[in-house]
This record gives sequence, C-alpha cells and structure tokens, in this order.
Amino acid sequence: MSTDERNTTGGSRAAASTTPKPYWIGLGLMVMGAVWLYNAFGLPQGARYAAVGPGLFVTVAGGALLLLGALLMVQIWRGETFEAQDAEDADGATKMDRRAFLTALVAVALPIVTMGPLGMPFTATLSFVLVANAFGSRRWYLDLVYGAILASGSWFLFHQLGLQLGRFFPPLGV
Amino acid sequence: MGTFELLLQGFGVALQPTNLMWALVGSVLGTAIGILPGIGPALTIALLLPVTTALAPTSAFIMFAGILYGAMYGGSTTSILLNTPGEAGSMMTALEGNKMARAGRGAAALATAAIGSFVAGTIATLCLTFAAPAVAELAFYFKPTDYFAITALAFCSVAVVMGTSRTRGFISLFLGIAIGVIGIDTMTGQARLTFGNMQLLRGIALTVVLVSLFAVGEILYVASRYRSTPGVMAPIKGQLWMTRQDFARSWKPWLRGTAIGFPMGALPGSGSEIPTMLSYTLERKLTRYPEEFGKGAIEGVAGPEAANNAAAAGILVPLLTLGLPTSATAAVLLAAFQNYGLQPGPFLFTSNPALIWGLIASLYVGNVMLLVLNLPLVGIWVQLLRIPRPQLYAGILVFAMIGVWGLAGSWVDLTIMLVVGLAGYVMRVYDFPIAPVLIGLILGPMAETQLRTALAAGQGNPMVLVSTPLSAILITLAVLLLALPIFLKRLRAHA
Amino acid sequence: MYFSKTLAVLAMTAALGTGAAVAQVNVMLPANPGGGWDSLGRQAFQAMNDAGIYTGGVNFTNTGGAGGTVGLAEFLGTASGQPDSLAVFGAITVGAIALNNSPINLAEFRPVARMTAEYLVIAVAADSPYNTLADLVAGIKADPGAAALGGGSAGGVDHISLALLAQAGDIPVADLNYIPQTSGAETVTAIVNGTLVAGVSGTSEFAQFAEQGRIKLLAVTSAERRPNLPDVPTFKEAGYDVEIANWRGILAAPGAPDDNYAMWVDNFTKLSQSDAWKAVLEAQGWEDYFLPGGEFGAFIAEETERQGQILKDAGLVN
Repeated sequence: MSTDERNTTGGSRAAASTTPKPYWIGLGLMVMGAVWLYNAFGLPQGARYAAVGPGLFVTVAGGALLLLGALLMVQIWRGETFEAQDAEDADGATKMDRRAFLTALVAVALPIVTMGPLGMPFTATLSFVLVANAFGSRRWYLDLVYGAILASGSWFLFHQLGLQLGRFFPPLGV
Repeated sequence: MGTFELLLQGFGVALQPTNLMWALVGSVLGTAIGILPGIGPALTIALLLPVTTALAPTSAFIMFAGILYGAMYGGSTTSILLNTPGEAGSMMTALEGNKMARAGRGAAALATAAIGSFVAGTIATLCLTFAAPAVAELAFYFKPTDYFAITALAFCSVAVVMGTSRTRGFISLFLGIAIGVIGIDTMTGQARLTFGNMQLLRGIALTVVLVSLFAVGEILYVASRYRSTPGVMAPIKGQLWMTRQDFARSWKPWLRGTAIGFPMGALPGSGSEIPTMLSYTLERKLTRYPEEFGKGAIEGVAGPEAANNAAAAGILVPLLTLGLPTSATAAVLLAAFQNYGLQPGPFLFTSNPALIWGLIASLYVGNVMLLVLNLPLVGIWVQLLRIPRPQLYAGILVFAMIGVWGLAGSWVDLTIMLVVGLAGYVMRVYDFPIAPVLIGLILGPMAETQLRTALAAGQGNPMVLVSTPLSAILITLAVLLLALPIFLKRLRAHA
Repeated sequence: MYFSKTLAVLAMTAALGTGAAVAQVNVMLPANPGGGWDSLGRQAFQAMNDAGIYTGGVNFTNTGGAGGTVGLAEFLGTASGQPDSLAVFGAITVGAIALNNSPINLAEFRPVARMTAEYLVIAVAADSPYNTLADLVAGIKADPGAAALGGGSAGGVDHISLALLAQAGDIPVADLNYIPQTSGAETVTAIVNGTLVAGVSGTSEFAQFAEQGRIKLLAVTSAERRPNLPDVPTFKEAGYDVEIANWRGILAAPGAPDDNYAMWVDNFTKLSQSDAWKAVLEAQGWEDYFLPGGEFGAFIAEETERQGQILKDAGLVN
C-alpha cells in the first residue's frame, strides 16, 4: 500500500520524528544473542541418533540475534530510519510524553512488588489510577472508585470461576 | 457415519440452551472487543483460559469460537465509522468503508460488511465442515519432515512479508524463537536458559507474552503518544439496508473474498492481513467503477470483510485436524485444548465427536447470532466507543494483570510482563513487526521438535528433511521466498 | 490486644479439638488444570466429600511444569511443617527429579497413599511386520537405530518401560532410538505414518485406536491380562520380566504433625474402600492401586532406585 493510505490516523508523515540513530537496539540484541549462545555451550549439541540435540535451537537463536543485531547496527549507520507506528489512539508523529510513559510504566511494574503481599484487588486499583492518570484523567478520586469496583468485581467473578488470584487482601488475611 | 449426520448431532449439542447461551456470551464479548481498541480475540481468549477449570470443554470452545468470529464482525465497525482499524485484518475495510461513511453511506458500508461477513463465515464454515474430516486423515500421511517444512516456510513468509524490512522481520521472528527455547527441553529434559530459576523450568507461557506484547506494550505506547482528541466518528446515515445496486456490486466480492480468505487462513503465518490485502487488490482490478476506488467503493469493503471472516474459519482447519496453529488466536485455542488434556487432530474427531461437531455447528449458529447482533444493533455497539480512554486503557491493564497473575500466581510472570511489555513498546516506537514474535514463539518449539524427530527417525541423515514430495516443495518455496522478496514488495506497493 | 490473641488461639484449639472437619486443607496439584494429577486431586476430595469422610474446605493450587517438580518445589517451600497440606504426584515425578537434577528428595515428604495406576501397552502399526513382542525385540536388536520408538516425555514411565524391555531382551539401553511425543494421540499418529516403529502409552489411550484397526497392541505391562484387553498378552507371558505402571499418589508436607498425618492416611484408606471412589475409578477408567502410608514410602524408595538406575543405563542421567 502507499504511504498516504497507510497513514490513516492523521498527522503528517513528513513531520514524523526520525529518532537519532538507535544503535542501542542493535547492541541489546547482540547482548541477548550472546547470552543465548553462552547458554547453548553448556548444552549437548548432538544426540545419539538425531545428530542435533537440545543445544541446536538455542545456538541458532543466539547466533541469529547476534548477527541480526550487528546487521541492524550497520543499517543504522548507513542511515536506516525508524518511524513510530500509528495506533488507534496514538499518533506516531507526536513527541513522546515522558511523564505519561513513566507513570504507565510504574503501573505495570507495581504488581511485581505488591501483588503478593497486598493482593490483586489493591494492586489493580492502584495500577488503574496510575494508568488513568497517565492518559490525562485528573479526577484520581473517581478513578480510585472505578478502579476499586472493577478490581474487586473481577476478583470475585474470576475467583468464582476457579481462577487462583490469591487472597482478597492478604494483610488482613481475608 | 456421514459428515451430515455428524453435523446434525453437532447441532443437537450446539442448540442446547446452555451452549446457546455461551455462544451468545462469546458473540457479544467478541463484538465488543472487536470494537474496542487494544484488545483482540487472541488476548481475550488467553485471558479467559483459566476459566476452563470451571466450564465443560464444549461450552468453553463454543464461547471461544463466538469470540473469534465476533471480533471479525466488530472490527469492521470501528474501521468504517472511525477510520481506525483495530486489527490488521480491518485495515483494508477502513480505506473504502470510512470514505463511504463520510459520504453518508455508512449504513450501506456496515451492511455489506456484516452481510459479507455472514456469507463468508457461513460458506467457510461449510468448507470447514466437509474439508476437516478429509484433512484430518492427512495427519496419517504427514511426517515430521513435512511439519518442519511447513514451519520453515511460515517463518520465512512471516519475516519477509511483515514489517518494513527483512532485517526487522527476522529480528522479531528470532526474538520469538529465543523466548520459545526457555524452559525444559521436552525431548531430553535438559533445562535451557532458566538461570537456575525453578519457575522458568516450565517455560514462558504464551499468554504472558501475548498479554505483555499486545496489551501492556500498547498501553505504554499509547500513553506516551496519546492523541487526546479522538477520531471523528462518522454518523450512521442512510438506509440501514443496501440498495439493489449495492447488492449487485457486493455479492461477487463476497464470494471472491471467501475464496481467497479461507485457504489463506489455513496457511501458517499469513494471518488476516495478507488475504484482505489480496482481496482488496483483486476487487480494485476487477471493478467496473475504478474511479470510485479511494472515494468509497462498496466492493472495497465487501471483498476484504468476506476475506477476513473466511480466514478466521480457515485457521480452524489446520488447528482442529492437525493440531497445527497458524495464528496467535489458534495457538491460544490450542492451549485451551491442552488445558482439557485434549489433543486436536484426527483422533479428536472420533474420540470426542460431540465436542468437535458441536463446535462446528456452533459456528453456524454464532454467525446467525452475530448478523442479528451487528446489523440492527450497530448503533448500540458504537456506544462502547464512548468509554473514556483513560479508564478504558486502565481497565485493559487490570485484565492483563489478572490474566498473568491468575496463571500461576508468580511474581516471575509479572516481571516478564514488565520486560516483554517494554520490548513491545520499543518495537512500536522503532517499527518492528509484532506478529513474527508470536509466530516464532508458537511455531519455534514445534519446528524444533519436528526437526529433531525427523532427524532421529532418519538417524541423523539431513536428506530426510526433503525426503517427501511435500517437504521438498515447501523447503524450495521457503528458499525462493528469501530470494524473491522483490516480488512481494511489488505486491504491497500495488495494494 | 494480647487478650484477643489468646482468645483466638483458644478458639482455634477448640476448633481443632472438635474435629478436623473445620480445618481447611491445602492441596498442591503440580500440573495444569485438566490433566491426570489435577483430576485425581479434585475427584478424590469430591468423593471424600460425597462419602462423608472429609467434608471441610479444600483449597487447590495448580502449579504445572517439569513432571511435577516445579509444583513440589513450591510445596516444599510453602507447606513444610504445615498440618494439612497435601500434594498429588506420580511415577513421572520420580524420573523427572533425576532427569532435571531437581533439588527435591521424595523421601523428605510424608507418603500418604498410592491411589491409582494405569498400565502401559506397546503397539505397532496395523501393517507392521511385527506380530509379537518377541518379533519386535528381535527387530530392535538387529538395528536399534532404525527402530525408532516413541512414547511420553524422556525419562517418563513410557520411556522407562521400553528401557526395561530392552534390558530384559539384552539390548543396551543406551542404544534405543527413543523419540518423545507430546501425547498418546501423537504417538499413534507417528506409529501410523511410519515415523515410529513402535510406541508406548496408557491402555485407555491406545485401546480405542486398536479398535479402529489403526494399530496392533503387542503387550501390556501389568502382571495379568487386563479385563478390557483380553487378547493382549503381558510382557511376562511374552518372555520379558517387566512390570510397570503409571501410578499416582498423595504426599503430605515434610514435617507434618503425626496426628494430622495419621488422619490423612486414615482418610485416604477409607476413601479407597468407599463406593464413591469406586464410581470415580470406573468413570475415569483408572485402576485401583491403593497402598497406604509407610508401605507407600517403601514403594517410592524402591521406584526411585529402579528408575534412577535405568535412567543411568539409558545415558540420560550421569
């Protein structure tokens, strides 16, 4: 399809931010590839009859990521450009909103710490408020109510359906 | 017993009140998620997987099938009215559909999409009904080398076709393959890339990756580049039915779209993007009104929508008959089968006919329900789009969290959700295709098992990989695909 | 504050004294929902409830992966010393522990009861030249590499049964070309399409395919012929002294108090004799394979020894 057709959500493509050369992506892929390769060396590469063992695919995946990471860095050096994708409610051409991104990120990271000790409904309510805030909702008290209703409601529903979501609020032992 | 009697028995199952209710639940849910952004059928079914503990398999699959078909119906509504395709499969619909809506022919566009979906869905389900038992017999002829060749071809096609460059396509693909090797190697019991963590022994669940890449990645991405002025919704104007001329111009594209979509859906890795694109290109070539294309030609809605729905039925063929998932949704459905200790394949047709034929019959029932749900009630559905975005995305995160935490109650899974979610964000910012990650993750372990089985049975002789006619052809095609990307680029440029 | 705590403790003691029925039992099902272990755990407690043996609350946890070792490791960590914590496990766990170098030692847990078993059958394609187990063993012996064999996961009971067969037939176990399959249905497909020369799986899984005429059943691993497969000889009849079953059982947490442990052994003993349980066995197609407490412990030790040795011989464990 041609570019103007693809650009269905409005906003001019020409203005799309071509980010400064993101060598770090290539580097990250190479590091990941190296970890996989390193792990592959500890695995048997062969087998009695199959000629290939459990190490083969790990080696292939690691090697490929290493090579592709290097290739990507070369392409970046040669001037490969990267344009952010358009999504239903996002405009690839706008500048990144750091505060909103970090708020949403905290909402996603929060469960790692609080899900076990404080339970699903509490954690989900907090994350709900944070995400809503990241999207520009400023009535946090209302979001707190919506979030609490949604989180507790789904806890009861899924608990009834036999899903293991842990206790409702572990600090109180309920 | 003939297929027809089996199908009748299937209707006996599908028309039981409880199963009718689950089909309705699935259809409603499916339509809703098709309309809402950020959440698709694969994700919804993945989130509902844990309820399989509480539900009989037949009811669960009838509901899942409703979700699968419903999402296809719902997706077209947003494309037409808002010009924002939620899924790759509805992208082509938006091109002409939204132009029609803006020109005051929204009702006709919605009607041709819904009726086209119904026609295609029903024809494709008929094909599925009669093709499936025959295809299932193929399981006894397909050898591991054939399966390996199928996966190899899928890898090449998905990496070459999707995304802006082959490098990025392959990076996505190998990321998926790399995630797929984590855990215990099923063939030898060796732990791979577990870094001494017990919980990683069972591998990274598809649900976690799916939820993180799509829902979490999308939330992070949209939050960072949120366009707070929502798209302009075109009002539903015009007759809620198509004119005689609309019909005359629609029925052929419906049939052609079905003919393209059904077989393409059955092929691994082609997804719903390629058949809809092909259908659009074809209709544009064949139309007697070329001047209308780009300004709201009804053929451009009718064809792709039919192709989209037929492809959804197409993915069920290899899934039910060979246990071969060709898309993320199919992979999640496969996981659901395995949750019940069922293995899709030829034996499911004989060992559990009530389930298989009940499921197939429910597809007919679901199609009728969806037509009724979508055509007259479309005005109610679009109200869903009025949910304020902040609370909508916050709600999606809550469900993502429940899906990941409910899997095993493990903080390791939640950490993976964060890491993979961030990766999903980066991939969106730097325009890496996401579908190949899933294909790598789903088909990677399968490719590995089949390769090693083929080689073990052939005592290590690599020639065994091209020893059957099918494998020789498919491997050749895979190589050609790598060598001839220009051809496909042209095809895309044409579309 | 202190007073209310004391009260609570008193209340709890009273509750315990009035009968264990009020207590809540935690049951670890180290598999995903739907599998054999999952159904054993859930059905056993359902039957216990129906028979009035134990009617208290049951809290199931599904933690699948790695032949049950992931779930058992979690059980070890969270339930040690707990009075009413049980876990389901089975023959596959024994091999998986050895194979995955798992830190779990089954002897640490308190054995409650062995409950069910499923015997295994070996099958070849309907058009296979082999008609008896002896034919097949001779064929494997002639060229082990060319005779691809299949069944469940590496080191699982299917694999071990073939290794035992090889040993009995004087074939070096390490020479077997064993290719693990993901399910019994997959094994049948592979036998029919010629990938595998022979395959092993549970009787219930293979019987239906033999009826369809797709495969021939050569022998069963039980001590005597199975009532539902009267024409299939045992391994012993065929001249190979191999007897093995895919058994499933219940463990209590390490360091569980003696009283509670004794109560659960007693509960499961009563269950095994109840009509409710017999109905479950019938419905699920499981064999009764009951063995209580201490005897079960000795059996586990024996199996650990036997499977460990055979895995060593197969070259799967160092």
